[in-house]
Amino acid sequence: MVASIYNWLDERLGLAEIIAFAQHKTVPTHKHSFWYYWGGISLFLFLIQVFTGILLLVYYRPGAEAFESVRQITYVMHFGWLIRSAHSWSANLFIFSIIVHMFSVYFMKAYRKPREIGWFTGIALLFLGALFGFSGYLLPMDELSYFATKVGLQIPASLPFLGPFTATILRGGPDVSEFTVQRFFALHVVVLPLLFLPLLGLHLYLVQKHGNALPPSELAKPASARKSIPFFPNFFQKDLAMWLISLNVLALLASVYPWDLGKQADALSPAPAGIHPEWYFMAPFHMLKILGNWLPGATGEVVGILLFTVGLALWVVIPLYDGENKAGSRGRIAHYFGLFAVTALLVTTALGYWGIR
Amino acid sequence: MNYPFWEVPFLGSSSVIAIIAIFHVMISQFAVGGGLWLPMAERKALKEGRTDWMAQLKSHSRFFLLITGVFGTVSGVGIWFAIGLTQPEATSTLIHNFVFGWAMEWVFFLIELTTIAVYYYTWNRIPAKLHLAIGWLYAGSSLFTLIIINGILTFMLTPGDTWLGVAGTGAEASKFWNAFFNPTYWPSLLMRTLVCISLAGVWALVTGSRIDSDKQPALKASYLRWTTRWLVPSFVLMPLSLLWYLLMVPASQRALLTLGISTIGSGTFSQVTRLALVMIITSATIIVVTYYLAYKNPKDFTLAHASAIVILALMATGTGEQAREMLRKPYVIGRHMYSNGLRVSEVAGRNQNGYLEHSLWLNQTTSAHWAQGEAMYRGQCGACHTLTGYRALNKLLANRDRQSVGSLLTMLHEYKADLAYRKFMPPLTGTNEEIEALGDYLYAQASPNAPKATPVSAPVLKAEK
Repeated sequence: MVASIYNWLDERLGLAEIIAFAQHKTVPTHKHSFWYYWGGISLFLFLIQVFTGILLLVYYRPGAEAFESVRQITYVMHFGWLIRSAHSWSANLFIFSIIVHMFSVYFMKAYRKPREIGWFTGIALLFLGALFGFSGYLLPMDELSYFATKVGLQIPASLPFLGPFTATILRGGPDVSEFTVQRFFALHVVVLPLLFLPLLGLHLYLVQKHGNALPPSELAKPASARKSIPFFPNFFQKDLAMWLISLNVLALLASVYPWDLGKQADALSPAPAGIHPEWYFMAPFHMLKILGNWLPGATGEVVGILLFTVGLALWVVIPLYDGENKAGSRGRIAHYFGLFAVTALLVTTALGYWGIR
Repeated sequence: MNYPFWEVPFLGSSSVIAIIAIFHVMISQFAVGGGLWLPMAERKALKEGRTDWMAQLKSHSRFFLLITGVFGTVSGVGIWFAIGLTQPEATSTLIHNFVFGWAMEWVFFLIELTTIAVYYYTWNRIPAKLHLAIGWLYAGSSLFTLIIINGILTFMLTPGDTWLGVAGTGAEASKFWNAFFNPTYWPSLLMRTLVCISLAGVWALVTGSRIDSDKQPALKASYLRWTTRWLVPSFVLMPLSLLWYLLMVPASQRALLTLGISTIGSGTFSQVTRLALVMIITSATIIVVTYYLAYKNPKDFTLAHASAIVILALMATGTGEQAREMLRKPYVIGRHMYSNGLRVSEVAGRNQNGYLEHSLWLNQTTSAHWAQGEAMYRGQCGACHTLTGYRALNKLLANRDRQSVGSLLTMLHEYKADLAYRKFMPPLTGTNEEIEALGDYLYAQASPNAPKATPVSAPVLKAEK
């Protein structure tokens, strides 16, 4: 029965060729192989996002009824709380896993020739992922999401020239309101997926084309001393095992620590104490805060945004600076730059949370 | 008797116990299962003349000695500190009721510690048969530590009618064996033994992952495959033992779980049901993942894979232990002592004479009314709640006005038979004045507009003449 179904499909789709190709394809194994799984984990979490997002879409109503519809999803619909909780937790785990993936790619020098475009598309995907997070955070329109978005939109608003205009366009008016929810919703379910999906396709194609990069320690070895395993079934089985483990972590978080829904947002009420952005925006938020304290007036924010933008730009163009597969001062400088970035992000995030404890 | 309260801000004292206990259980159950694993593996190696296995077992026994002898021991002492501070009355009951049990436990514990040290340091120094005998001695003594502690742990969930019949009379210790072999003793022993065997396999995967696939492929494959089989008994028997265990839990305490199961269709199952489901899912995942990663692909099995499996085991242990703890609600010792340390028999007296009647620990730097409220919170809520962190009262009461806070406290004080909170919360005891003070104190925590404490100067203590 199974064989006949397989033969039927094989005749039409050429499954045997795909399997033969997957068996022919290999994945390197070495002491840093663990980091290869993070791209797959990110993809898996994205698929969960899509699945749970579609289910939420069935009942969510943007605009003036946003809060009420999320309240119904959470407290009235069967399993609504679980789907919403899984969506929110997987969004955070998704951002976390792509950050881990990005740093592992960076420190394994997997951005070097010929993988530069893979790096650029990956950074763009992380940027879009953060935008997914920012736009999705407002959608429940509870007190916390309302005020956090208000604070978050102050960052683009403080930029010179185009800043206030951009912020007004995003808000749909002078302040965060139901129009902002409508815009963020369109961004979240239409605009961002339209940008994300083709970019993801290109990224995956490039990973497939160039294969997994070897870290410098492995490249230094003669080719005969390097080890690899077939992608199918060996690496594929392991990848699935890692997906299953990720699913377990998600199940634990989503069911035992269900995502909270606060009070309905009220623009006239004072902002609750300790309002802060999501953890992945905490570092830039706190950097701006530090500079705002050091420098007078709006100068601090502008200098902070400029510094952060320059740092980000340097991070993005690193393959253009350290693109050759050879040891040298450029590689070392890039490595120290990476260490500095990790430390700065961790320290400012920790200080940010310490400040609002 | 009133003890000073151990207030842990944000985390809560019960979370401190939970964190230490989950860590400890992961290791102590490895100590028992791993104790059986070592001599069985050594016997197999001797029987088959596998010298490569012997070298690997020596390396594994060093890992075992370090993990169980250092982290297991330290975390065990940590539990004593934490439970003594958080639940002094319950700890006192356990000590007084099980003096002989604790004595036996520590004797076996000492044998355990000694034999594992001798076992490790005598590899290749004494005859193989004698070495193996020491391994078996360790296995026996560690199994006895489980046999004893299981009686005390299960007592806390189901002390049994016989012991409850003498509770409070001063003759509790006379029913030692009834309390020890209580209704959930045997199913729990079976369940914990299965978990111990699984954890022996899970931890052995860690040392197995360190074997060099290029230099010793046959050793790595045989070692990992043999180890993976240690997960099978648990996979087969765990569902049955879990059912047996739940059947022995009194229906009143099973209520939260049954409520959760009956509402699965509408997706609103209770916390304890969620925990139980996560435990089952995670345990099944461990089997599947271990089969694919270690059994099918032993050559490529790395420390990262083994660590991922240990994390899954930690999740399964954590959720399982938390589910068991929640099943005990609203008691810390089933039907005898509530989770805030108040005996069931003391409730009427506290309502009549006041909860704070004997309290020596009132805050002297604020008004008496505020100090009363604070002491009531610490004594009756603080064992499970915090003000701003875990199970935060400022959040749980955030949308209530003063009158609504008062109504909730009255409901908890009256503790009527149909009260939903009865399934997991103890009654609120005290006089009307004390409950009023608690209401003001809690309202002040939850509402930014509520009146706050009025500081007064602390009285200067004078030396008695």
